[in-house]
Amino acid sequence: MTTLAPARVALRSGPGYWWDSYRGMLRWQLTSMRLWLPVTAMVQAISGAGFVLAMGLFFGTVPPRAALFVSTGVLVLTLVIVGLILGPQLVAAQRMEHTYDFLWSLPVPRTTAAAAWLTVNFIIGLPALAVALGVALLRYDLPLHVSPAIVPAVLLTLYTGTMIGYAMAHAIAKPMITVIITQATIFLAFGFSAINFPLDQLPGWLAEVNEWLPLYPMANTVRAALTQGVAEEVARSYLVLAAWSVASTALAAGVLGRRG
Amino acid sequence: MPTAAALRHGLPYWLAGYRSMLRFELASARGWLPTFMFIQVLMGAGMAVVYGFYLGDMPPLAATFITTGAPTLSIIPLGMALLPSLVGAQKTEGSYDFVWSLPVPRPVAAFSSFTLFTLLAVPGVVVTLLLATWRYHLHLEVSPLVVVAVLLAALMSASVGFSLGHAVPNPLITNVITNLVIFVVLMFSPIAFPIDNFPGWLASVHRVLPFWHMANVVRASLTQGLVPHVGQSYLVLAAWLAGAWVVAAWVMGRRR
Repeated sequence: MTTLAPARVALRSGPGYWWDSYRGMLRWQLTSMRLWLPVTAMVQAISGAGFVLAMGLFFGTVPPRAALFVSTGVLVLTLVIVGLILGPQLVAAQRMEHTYDFLWSLPVPRTTAAAAWLTVNFIIGLPALAVALGVALLRYDLPLHVSPAIVPAVLLTLYTGTMIGYAMAHAIAKPMITVIITQATIFLAFGFSAINFPLDQLPGWLAEVNEWLPLYPMANTVRAALTQGVAEEVARSYLVLAAWSVASTALAAGVLGRRG
Repeated sequence: MPTAAALRHGLPYWLAGYRSMLRFELASARGWLPTFMFIQVLMGAGMAVVYGFYLGDMPPLAATFITTGAPTLSIIPLGMALLPSLVGAQKTEGSYDFVWSLPVPRPVAAFSSFTLFTLLAVPGVVVTLLLATWRYHLHLEVSPLVVVAVLLAALMSASVGFSLGHAVPNPLITNVITNLVIFVVLMFSPIAFPIDNFPGWLASVHRVLPFWHMANVVRASLTQGLVPHVGQSYLVLAAWLAGAWVVAAWVMGRRR
Protein backbone atom coordinates (compact mmCIF):
# COMPACT_ATOMS: atom_id res chain seq x y z
CA MET A 1 0.00 0.00 0.00
CA THR A 2 2.78 2.44 0.82
CA THR A 3 4.03 2.29 -2.75
CA LEU A 4 0.70 3.58 -4.03
CA ALA A 5 0.54 6.70 -1.92
CA PRO A 6 2.96 8.98 -3.85
CA ALA A 7 1.13 8.38 -7.13
CA ARG A 8 -2.19 9.53 -5.54
CA VAL A 9 -0.63 12.64 -4.05
CA ALA A 10 0.60 13.72 -7.46
CA LEU A 11 -2.92 13.70 -8.88
CA ARG A 12 -4.56 16.43 -6.78
CA SER A 13 -6.40 18.05 -9.66
CA GLY A 14 -8.61 17.16 -12.61
CA PRO A 15 -12.11 15.72 -12.87
CA GLY A 16 -11.02 12.24 -11.72
CA TYR A 17 -9.64 13.64 -8.49
CA TRP A 18 -12.73 15.81 -7.99
CA TRP A 19 -15.05 12.82 -8.53
CA ASP A 20 -13.10 10.63 -6.09
CA SER A 21 -13.16 13.41 -3.50
CA TYR A 22 -16.88 13.94 -4.03
CA ARG A 23 -17.57 10.26 -3.45
CA GLY A 24 -15.36 10.34 -0.38
CA MET A 25 -17.15 13.39 1.04
CA LEU A 26 -20.57 11.91 0.33
CA ARG A 27 -19.57 8.71 2.15
CA TRP A 28 -18.12 10.82 4.96
CA GLN A 29 -21.30 12.90 5.37
CA LEU A 30 -23.65 9.95 5.17
CA THR A 31 -21.55 8.03 7.70
CA SER A 32 -21.24 10.90 10.15
CA MET A 33 -25.00 11.39 9.98
CA ARG A 34 -25.99 7.74 10.13
CA LEU A 35 -27.81 8.22 13.44
CA TRP A 36 -29.12 11.67 12.71
CA LEU A 37 -30.36 10.93 9.20
CA PRO A 38 -33.06 8.30 9.85
CA VAL A 39 -34.33 10.17 12.91
CA THR A 40 -34.54 13.40 10.94
CA ALA A 41 -36.27 11.74 8.02
CA MET A 42 -38.78 10.23 10.42
CA VAL A 43 -39.40 13.45 12.37
CA GLN A 44 -39.85 15.25 9.06
CA ALA A 45 -42.33 12.72 7.75
CA ILE A 46 -44.29 12.77 11.02
CA SER A 47 -44.37 16.55 11.34
CA GLY A 48 -45.26 16.98 7.67
CA ALA A 49 -48.07 14.47 7.92
CA GLY A 50 -49.08 15.91 11.31
CA PHE A 51 -49.34 19.36 9.86
CA VAL A 52 -51.59 18.20 7.04
CA LEU A 53 -53.82 16.41 9.56
CA ALA A 54 -53.83 19.31 12.05
CA MET A 55 -55.45 21.55 9.45
CA GLY A 56 -58.60 19.46 9.82
CA LEU A 57 -58.72 20.52 13.48
CA PHE A 58 -58.29 24.20 12.66
CA PHE A 59 -61.18 24.31 10.23
CA GLY A 60 -63.58 21.62 11.32
CA THR A 61 -64.43 20.82 7.72
CA VAL A 62 -61.53 21.91 5.55
CA PRO A 63 -62.48 23.93 2.44
CA PRO A 64 -61.02 22.20 -0.65
CA ARG A 65 -58.96 25.23 -1.58
CA ALA A 66 -57.36 25.38 1.89
CA ALA A 67 -56.63 21.65 1.75
CA LEU A 68 -54.96 22.07 -1.62
CA PHE A 69 -52.79 24.92 -0.37
CA VAL A 70 -51.74 23.20 2.84
CA SER A 71 -50.99 19.87 1.19
CA THR A 72 -48.81 21.41 -1.51
CA GLY A 73 -47.25 23.91 0.91
CA VAL A 74 -46.16 21.21 3.33
CA LEU A 75 -44.33 19.51 0.45
CA VAL A 76 -42.25 22.63 -0.06
CA LEU A 77 -41.47 22.96 3.64
CA THR A 78 -40.39 19.32 3.71
CA LEU A 79 -38.07 19.96 0.79
CA VAL A 80 -36.27 22.95 2.27
CA ILE A 81 -36.27 22.33 5.99
CA VAL A 82 -33.13 20.20 6.00
CA GLY A 83 -31.11 22.52 3.78
CA LEU A 84 -32.39 25.81 5.13
CA ILE A 85 -32.80 25.04 8.85
CA LEU A 86 -31.13 21.81 9.96
CA GLY A 87 -28.02 22.17 7.78
CA PRO A 88 -27.01 25.55 9.22
CA GLN A 89 -27.72 24.22 12.72
CA LEU A 90 -25.40 21.26 12.07
CA VAL A 91 -22.64 23.62 10.93
CA ALA A 92 -23.27 25.79 13.99
CA ALA A 93 -22.89 22.68 16.18
CA GLN A 94 -19.61 21.83 14.41
CA ARG A 95 -18.36 25.32 15.19
CA MET A 96 -19.33 24.97 18.86
CA GLU A 97 -17.67 21.55 19.11
CA HIS A 98 -14.59 22.87 17.25
CA THR A 99 -14.75 20.19 14.57
CA TYR A 100 -15.47 22.80 11.90
CA ASP A 101 -11.84 23.64 11.12
CA PHE A 102 -10.97 19.96 11.03
CA LEU A 103 -13.63 19.30 8.39
CA TRP A 104 -12.43 22.26 6.35
CA SER A 105 -8.89 20.90 6.50
CA LEU A 106 -9.78 17.56 4.87
CA PRO A 107 -7.69 17.06 1.71
CA VAL A 108 -10.56 17.46 -0.79
CA PRO A 109 -11.67 20.38 -2.95
CA ARG A 110 -14.18 22.40 -0.93
CA THR A 111 -16.69 22.30 -3.77
CA THR A 112 -16.97 18.54 -3.28
CA ALA A 113 -18.13 19.14 0.30
CA ALA A 114 -20.84 21.46 -1.00
CA ALA A 115 -21.81 19.03 -3.76
CA ALA A 116 -21.98 16.14 -1.28
CA TRP A 117 -24.19 18.21 1.03
CA LEU A 118 -26.52 18.99 -1.88
CA THR A 119 -26.70 15.28 -2.66
CA VAL A 120 -27.54 14.45 0.96
CA ASN A 121 -30.38 16.98 0.80
CA PHE A 122 -31.78 15.33 -2.29
CA ILE A 123 -31.52 11.93 -0.60
CA ILE A 124 -33.53 13.21 2.40
CA GLY A 125 -35.85 15.61 0.60
CA LEU A 126 -37.32 13.43 -2.13
CA PRO A 127 -38.64 10.54 0.04
CA ALA A 128 -40.02 13.08 2.55
CA LEU A 129 -41.80 14.74 -0.35
CA ALA A 130 -43.36 11.44 -1.36
CA VAL A 131 -44.59 10.71 2.19
CA ALA A 132 -46.12 14.16 2.67
CA LEU A 133 -47.85 13.94 -0.71
CA GLY A 134 -49.13 10.45 0.07
CA VAL A 135 -50.67 11.53 3.38
CA ALA A 136 -52.25 14.57 1.77
CA LEU A 137 -53.79 12.45 -0.98
CA LEU A 138 -55.13 9.93 1.54
CA ARG A 139 -56.61 12.53 3.86
CA TYR A 140 -58.04 15.01 1.37
CA ASP A 141 -59.43 14.22 -2.04
CA LEU A 142 -57.07 16.52 -3.91
CA PRO A 143 -57.58 17.57 -7.52
CA LEU A 144 -53.91 17.28 -8.48
CA HIS A 145 -52.66 17.75 -12.04
CA VAL A 146 -48.99 16.85 -12.08
CA SER A 147 -47.17 18.47 -14.97
CA PRO A 148 -43.55 17.89 -16.14
CA ALA A 149 -42.73 21.29 -14.60
CA ILE A 150 -42.57 19.43 -11.28
CA VAL A 151 -38.99 18.40 -12.09
CA PRO A 152 -37.50 21.89 -12.52
CA ALA A 153 -39.68 23.29 -9.72
CA VAL A 154 -38.58 20.68 -7.18
CA LEU A 155 -34.94 20.76 -8.29
CA LEU A 156 -34.76 24.56 -8.19
CA THR A 157 -36.49 24.67 -4.79
CA LEU A 158 -34.22 22.03 -3.28
CA TYR A 159 -31.10 23.61 -4.77
CA THR A 160 -31.95 27.17 -3.71
CA GLY A 161 -33.05 26.20 -0.21
CA THR A 162 -29.91 24.16 0.35
CA MET A 163 -27.58 26.81 -1.05
CA ILE A 164 -29.11 29.67 0.97
CA GLY A 165 -28.68 27.60 4.13
CA TYR A 166 -25.19 26.55 3.12
CA ALA A 167 -24.03 30.06 2.32
CA MET A 168 -25.53 31.41 5.55
CA ALA A 169 -24.04 28.65 7.69
CA HIS A 170 -20.53 29.19 6.40
CA ALA A 171 -20.67 32.98 6.12
CA ILE A 172 -21.81 33.56 9.72
CA ALA A 173 -18.98 32.93 12.15
CA LYS A 174 -20.99 32.99 15.41
CA PRO A 175 -22.99 29.77 15.87
CA MET A 176 -25.51 31.41 18.22
CA ILE A 177 -26.49 33.89 15.50
CA THR A 178 -27.04 31.03 13.06
CA VAL A 179 -29.26 29.23 15.57
CA ILE A 180 -31.33 32.36 16.21
CA ILE A 181 -31.71 33.08 12.47
CA THR A 182 -32.80 29.52 11.69
CA GLN A 183 -35.33 29.51 14.53
CA ALA A 184 -36.75 32.82 13.38
CA THR A 185 -36.84 31.46 9.81
CA ILE A 186 -38.86 28.42 10.79
CA PHE A 187 -41.39 30.59 12.66
CA LEU A 188 -41.64 33.00 9.73
CA ALA A 189 -41.85 30.14 7.22
CA PHE A 190 -44.78 28.47 8.95
CA GLY A 191 -46.57 31.59 10.13
CA PHE A 192 -45.87 34.52 7.87
CA SER A 193 -44.97 33.07 4.47
CA ALA A 194 -47.58 32.39 1.83
CA ILE A 195 -46.62 28.71 1.64
CA ASN A 196 -49.54 26.94 3.29
CA PHE A 197 -52.18 29.52 2.42
CA PRO A 198 -52.92 31.90 -0.49
CA LEU A 199 -50.86 35.07 -0.77
CA ASP A 200 -53.98 37.27 -0.67
CA GLN A 201 -54.73 36.17 2.90
CA LEU A 202 -51.73 38.20 4.05
CA PRO A 203 -51.95 41.98 4.54
CA GLY A 204 -50.81 43.86 1.40
CA TRP A 205 -47.36 44.94 2.57
CA LEU A 206 -46.53 41.46 3.86
CA ALA A 207 -47.64 39.92 0.58
CA GLU A 208 -45.33 42.34 -1.23
CA VAL A 209 -42.39 41.29 0.98
CA ASN A 210 -43.24 37.63 0.37
CA GLU A 211 -42.99 38.04 -3.38
CA TRP A 212 -39.33 39.00 -3.09
CA LEU A 213 -38.26 36.43 -0.51
CA PRO A 214 -37.47 32.90 -1.68
CA LEU A 215 -40.10 30.88 0.21
CA TYR A 216 -43.23 32.07 -1.55
CA PRO A 217 -41.73 31.59 -5.06
CA MET A 218 -40.70 28.07 -4.03
CA ALA A 219 -44.25 27.27 -2.96
CA ASN A 220 -45.73 28.96 -6.01
CA THR A 221 -43.59 27.08 -8.56
CA VAL A 222 -44.12 23.68 -6.94
CA ARG A 223 -47.85 24.38 -6.55
CA ALA A 224 -48.10 25.43 -10.21
CA ALA A 225 -46.60 22.10 -11.25
CA LEU A 226 -49.06 20.11 -9.12
CA THR A 227 -52.32 21.97 -9.68
CA GLN A 228 -54.29 23.85 -12.31
CA GLY A 229 -55.50 27.40 -11.98
CA VAL A 230 -54.30 27.90 -8.40
CA ALA A 231 -50.85 29.43 -8.75
CA GLU A 232 -50.45 32.91 -10.23
CA GLU A 233 -47.54 34.75 -11.83
CA VAL A 234 -45.46 31.59 -11.96
CA ALA A 235 -42.88 32.97 -14.41
CA ARG A 236 -42.09 35.77 -12.01
CA SER A 237 -41.64 33.22 -9.21
CA TYR A 238 -39.17 31.25 -11.33
CA LEU A 239 -37.20 34.44 -11.97
CA VAL A 240 -37.07 35.45 -8.30
CA LEU A 241 -36.09 31.93 -7.34
CA ALA A 242 -33.38 31.79 -10.01
CA ALA A 243 -32.01 35.10 -8.73
CA TRP A 244 -31.85 33.69 -5.19
CA SER A 245 -30.11 30.54 -6.40
CA VAL A 246 -27.47 32.56 -8.26
CA ALA A 247 -26.95 34.93 -5.33
CA SER A 248 -26.65 32.14 -2.78
CA THR A 249 -24.30 30.15 -5.03
CA ALA A 250 -22.10 33.23 -5.46
CA LEU A 251 -22.06 33.85 -1.72
CA ALA A 252 -21.27 30.20 -1.02
CA ALA A 253 -18.47 30.27 -3.62
CA GLY A 254 -17.07 33.39 -1.98
CA VAL A 255 -17.10 31.76 1.44
CA LEU A 256 -15.63 28.52 0.11
CA GLY A 257 -12.77 30.35 -1.57
CA ARG A 258 -11.93 32.35 1.55
CA ARG A 259 -8.71 31.52 3.38
CA GLY A 260 -8.14 32.02 7.06
CA MET B 1 -25.36 35.47 63.72
CA PRO B 2 -25.68 32.62 66.21
CA THR B 3 -29.38 33.35 66.84
CA ALA B 4 -30.24 33.06 63.13
CA ALA B 5 -28.42 29.76 62.91
CA ALA B 6 -30.34 28.45 65.89
CA LEU B 7 -33.68 29.40 64.38
CA ARG B 8 -33.79 27.05 61.38
CA HIS B 9 -37.49 26.36 61.61
CA GLY B 10 -40.73 28.24 62.16
CA LEU B 11 -42.67 30.69 60.08
CA PRO B 12 -40.16 33.61 60.11
CA TYR B 13 -37.41 31.28 58.95
CA TRP B 14 -39.63 30.04 56.11
CA LEU B 15 -40.59 33.55 55.08
CA ALA B 16 -36.97 34.68 55.09
CA GLY B 17 -35.99 31.66 52.99
CA TYR B 18 -38.87 32.29 50.61
CA ARG B 19 -37.83 35.90 50.10
CA SER B 20 -34.19 34.96 49.50
CA MET B 21 -35.10 32.22 47.04
CA LEU B 22 -37.38 34.59 45.12
CA ARG B 23 -34.53 37.11 44.91
CA PHE B 24 -32.11 34.36 43.91
CA GLU B 25 -34.38 33.04 41.13
CA LEU B 26 -35.33 36.48 39.87
CA ALA B 27 -31.65 37.40 39.68
CA SER B 28 -30.81 34.24 37.73
CA ALA B 29 -33.77 34.94 35.43
CA ARG B 30 -32.61 38.37 34.30
CA GLY B 31 -30.48 36.87 31.51
CA TRP B 32 -33.31 35.14 29.70
CA LEU B 33 -36.28 37.19 30.88
CA PRO B 34 -36.47 39.83 28.08
CA THR B 35 -35.96 37.25 25.31
CA PHE B 36 -38.51 35.05 26.90
CA MET B 37 -41.15 37.76 27.26
CA PHE B 38 -40.74 38.34 23.53
CA ILE B 39 -41.14 34.64 22.69
CA GLN B 40 -44.15 34.44 25.00
CA VAL B 41 -45.93 37.24 23.15
CA LEU B 42 -44.96 35.62 19.83
CA MET B 43 -46.49 32.33 20.95
CA GLY B 44 -49.67 34.04 22.09
CA ALA B 45 -50.39 37.06 19.90
CA GLY B 46 -48.16 35.82 17.06
CA MET B 47 -50.00 32.53 16.81
CA ALA B 48 -53.35 34.34 17.02
CA VAL B 49 -52.35 36.37 13.96
CA VAL B 50 -50.93 33.33 12.14
CA TYR B 51 -54.05 31.23 12.68
CA GLY B 52 -55.92 34.12 11.05
CA PHE B 53 -53.72 33.90 7.93
CA TYR B 54 -54.46 30.20 7.67
CA LEU B 55 -58.20 30.61 8.07
CA GLY B 56 -58.49 33.43 5.54
CA ASP B 57 -61.84 35.13 6.04
CA MET B 58 -62.67 34.94 9.69
CA PRO B 59 -66.18 34.46 11.10
CA PRO B 60 -66.59 36.43 14.38
CA LEU B 61 -66.95 33.22 16.40
CA ALA B 62 -63.62 31.86 15.12
CA ALA B 63 -61.98 35.21 15.88
CA THR B 64 -63.37 35.11 19.42
CA PHE B 65 -62.05 31.58 19.94
CA ILE B 66 -58.60 32.48 18.67
CA THR B 67 -58.39 35.69 20.71
CA THR B 68 -59.52 34.08 23.94
CA GLY B 69 -57.25 31.08 23.32
CA ALA B 70 -54.18 33.26 22.82
CA PRO B 71 -53.58 33.98 26.55
CA THR B 72 -53.48 30.24 27.23
CA LEU B 73 -51.03 29.75 24.36
CA SER B 74 -48.75 32.30 26.00
CA ILE B 75 -48.99 30.70 29.47
CA ILE B 76 -48.05 27.16 28.46
CA PRO B 77 -44.49 27.68 27.14
CA LEU B 78 -43.43 29.51 30.31
CA GLY B 79 -44.43 26.86 32.84
CA MET B 80 -44.43 23.69 30.80
CA ALA B 81 -41.44 24.27 28.51
CA LEU B 82 -39.12 26.91 29.95
CA LEU B 83 -39.25 25.86 33.61
CA PRO B 84 -38.46 22.17 33.00
CA SER B 85 -35.72 23.01 30.52
CA LEU B 86 -34.14 25.43 32.99
CA VAL B 87 -34.08 22.65 35.59
CA GLY B 88 -32.71 20.33 32.89
CA ALA B 89 -30.00 22.87 32.06
CA GLN B 90 -29.01 23.02 35.75
CA LYS B 91 -28.57 19.25 35.67
CA THR B 92 -26.44 19.42 32.51
CA GLU B 93 -24.29 22.25 33.86
CA GLY B 94 -23.89 20.57 37.22
CA SER B 95 -25.37 23.46 39.20
CA TYR B 96 -28.49 21.45 40.14
CA ASP B 97 -27.03 19.97 43.33
CA PHE B 98 -25.75 23.37 44.36
CA VAL B 99 -29.22 24.92 44.13
CA TRP B 100 -30.71 22.01 46.03
CA SER B 101 -28.05 22.39 48.74
CA LEU B 102 -28.93 26.01 49.52
CA PRO B 103 -29.86 26.35 53.19
CA VAL B 104 -33.61 26.79 52.73
CA PRO B 105 -36.32 24.19 53.17
CA ARG B 106 -37.01 22.54 49.81
CA PRO B 107 -40.75 23.29 49.81
CA VAL B 108 -39.83 26.97 50.20
CA ALA B 109 -37.63 26.74 47.10
CA ALA B 110 -40.48 25.05 45.22
CA PHE B 111 -43.02 27.69 46.24
CA SER B 112 -40.69 30.45 45.18
CA SER B 113 -40.47 28.81 41.71
CA PHE B 114 -44.25 28.52 41.56
CA THR B 115 -44.69 32.17 42.55
CA LEU B 116 -42.13 33.48 40.12
CA PHE B 117 -43.31 31.48 37.09
CA THR B 118 -46.97 32.23 37.85
CA LEU B 119 -46.41 35.97 38.09
CA LEU B 120 -44.07 36.10 35.10
CA ALA B 121 -46.89 34.76 32.94
CA VAL B 122 -49.11 37.76 33.64
CA PRO B 123 -47.48 40.52 31.51
CA GLY B 124 -47.33 38.18 28.50
CA VAL B 125 -50.99 37.31 28.95
CA VAL B 126 -52.04 40.97 29.11
CA VAL B 127 -49.99 42.02 26.06
CA THR B 128 -51.19 39.00 24.10
CA LEU B 129 -54.82 39.69 24.90
CA LEU B 130 -54.53 43.37 23.99
CA LEU B 131 -52.79 42.61 20.67
CA ALA B 132 -55.25 39.88 19.70
CA THR B 133 -58.36 41.94 20.51
CA TRP B 134 -56.90 44.84 18.56
CA ARG B 135 -56.11 42.62 15.56
CA TYR B 136 -59.61 41.16 15.34
CA HIS B 137 -61.55 44.26 16.52
CA LEU B 138 -63.28 42.35 19.29
CA HIS B 139 -65.12 43.54 22.32
CA LEU B 140 -64.61 41.09 25.18
CA GLU B 141 -66.69 40.92 28.33
CA VAL B 142 -63.97 40.71 30.94
CA SER B 143 -65.16 39.43 34.30
CA PRO B 144 -63.14 39.69 37.54
CA LEU B 145 -62.82 35.91 37.39
CA VAL B 146 -60.09 36.42 34.80
CA VAL B 147 -57.60 36.96 37.65
CA VAL B 148 -58.44 33.61 39.20
CA ALA B 149 -58.49 31.82 35.83
CA VAL B 150 -55.14 33.14 34.61
CA LEU B 151 -53.40 32.64 37.96
CA LEU B 152 -54.75 29.11 38.34
CA ALA B 153 -53.78 28.18 34.78
CA ALA B 154 -50.31 29.67 35.22
CA LEU B 155 -49.78 28.09 38.65
CA MET B 156 -50.89 24.67 37.39
CA SER B 157 -48.65 25.00 34.35
CA ALA B 158 -45.64 26.02 36.47
CA SER B 159 -46.28 23.20 38.95
CA VAL B 160 -46.51 20.53 36.25
CA GLY B 161 -43.36 21.91 34.60
CA PHE B 162 -41.53 21.98 37.93
CA SER B 163 -42.41 18.38 38.74
CA LEU B 164 -41.49 17.28 35.25
CA GLY B 165 -38.12 19.01 35.35
CA HIS B 166 -37.23 17.56 38.75
CA ALA B 167 -38.71 14.08 38.35
CA VAL B 168 -37.14 13.23 34.98
CA PRO B 169 -33.47 12.42 35.61
CA ASN B 170 -32.16 12.87 32.07
CA PRO B 171 -32.33 16.46 30.74
CA LEU B 172 -32.41 15.14 27.16
CA ILE B 173 -35.67 13.34 27.89
CA THR B 174 -37.03 16.52 29.47
CA ASN B 175 -36.15 18.32 26.28
CA VAL B 176 -37.97 15.81 24.11
CA ILE B 177 -41.05 16.02 26.34
CA THR B 178 -41.16 19.83 26.30
CA ASN B 179 -40.78 19.91 22.51
CA LEU B 180 -43.58 17.41 22.22
CA VAL B 181 -45.78 19.52 24.51
CA ILE B 182 -45.26 22.61 22.33
CA PHE B 183 -45.97 20.60 19.16
CA VAL B 184 -49.16 19.11 20.60
CA VAL B 185 -50.30 22.43 22.05
CA LEU B 186 -49.82 24.40 18.83
CA MET B 187 -51.20 21.86 16.39
CA PHE B 188 -53.43 19.36 18.13
CA SER B 189 -55.10 21.14 21.05
CA PRO B 190 -58.54 22.69 21.23
CA ILE B 191 -57.16 25.94 22.67
CA ALA B 192 -57.85 28.36 19.84
CA PHE B 193 -60.48 26.13 18.19
CA PRO B 194 -63.73 24.55 19.36
CA ILE B 195 -63.32 21.01 20.66
CA ASP B 196 -66.19 19.98 18.33
CA ASN B 197 -63.70 20.16 15.43
CA PHE B 198 -61.79 17.27 16.97
CA PRO B 199 -62.42 13.60 16.28
CA GLY B 200 -64.06 11.82 19.23
CA TRP B 201 -61.01 9.98 20.54
CA LEU B 202 -58.80 13.10 20.50
CA ALA B 203 -61.53 15.13 22.19
CA SER B 204 -61.71 12.50 24.95
CA VAL B 205 -57.95 12.71 25.43
CA HIS B 206 -58.26 16.47 25.80
CA ARG B 207 -60.93 16.14 28.45
CA VAL B 208 -58.21 14.56 30.62
CA LEU B 209 -55.21 16.67 29.56
CA PRO B 210 -55.04 20.16 31.09
CA PHE B 211 -54.71 22.27 27.91
CA TRP B 212 -58.36 22.45 26.89
CA HIS B 213 -59.42 23.14 30.48
CA MET B 214 -56.91 25.99 30.76
CA ALA B 215 -58.37 27.54 27.63
CA ASN B 216 -61.88 26.96 28.99
CA VAL B 217 -61.44 28.79 32.30
CA VAL B 218 -59.68 31.71 30.62
CA ARG B 219 -62.27 31.89 27.82
CA ALA B 220 -65.15 31.71 30.30
CA SER B 221 -63.79 34.76 32.10
CA LEU B 222 -63.56 36.77 28.87
CA THR B 223 -66.81 35.85 27.11
CA GLN B 224 -70.40 34.97 27.90
CA GLY B 225 -72.20 31.84 26.84
CA LEU B 226 -69.29 30.23 24.98
CA VAL B 227 -68.14 27.83 27.67
CA PRO B 228 -70.63 25.47 29.30
CA HIS B 229 -69.65 23.57 32.48
CA VAL B 230 -66.66 25.75 33.33
CA GLY B 231 -66.83 24.40 36.88
CA GLN B 232 -65.64 21.02 35.60
CA SER B 233 -62.64 22.66 33.99
CA TYR B 234 -61.74 24.34 37.29
CA LEU B 235 -61.96 20.95 39.00
CA VAL B 236 -59.75 19.23 36.42
CA LEU B 237 -57.15 22.01 36.70
CA ALA B 238 -57.23 21.74 40.49
CA ALA B 239 -56.70 17.99 40.17
CA TRP B 240 -53.68 18.52 37.88
CA LEU B 241 -52.33 21.07 40.36
CA ALA B 242 -52.72 18.66 43.26
CA GLY B 243 -51.14 15.85 41.24
CA ALA B 244 -48.18 18.03 40.31
CA TRP B 245 -47.68 19.00 43.95
CA VAL B 246 -47.74 15.35 45.05
CA VAL B 247 -45.04 14.52 42.51
CA ALA B 248 -43.08 17.61 43.57
CA ALA B 249 -43.32 16.57 47.23
CA TRP B 250 -42.10 13.09 46.36
CA VAL B 251 -39.14 14.45 44.36
CA MET B 252 -38.22 16.88 47.12
CA GLY B 253 -38.39 14.27 49.86
CA ARG B 254 -36.16 11.89 47.94
CA ARG B 255 -32.61 11.43 49.25
CA ARG B 256 -29.83 10.19 47.08
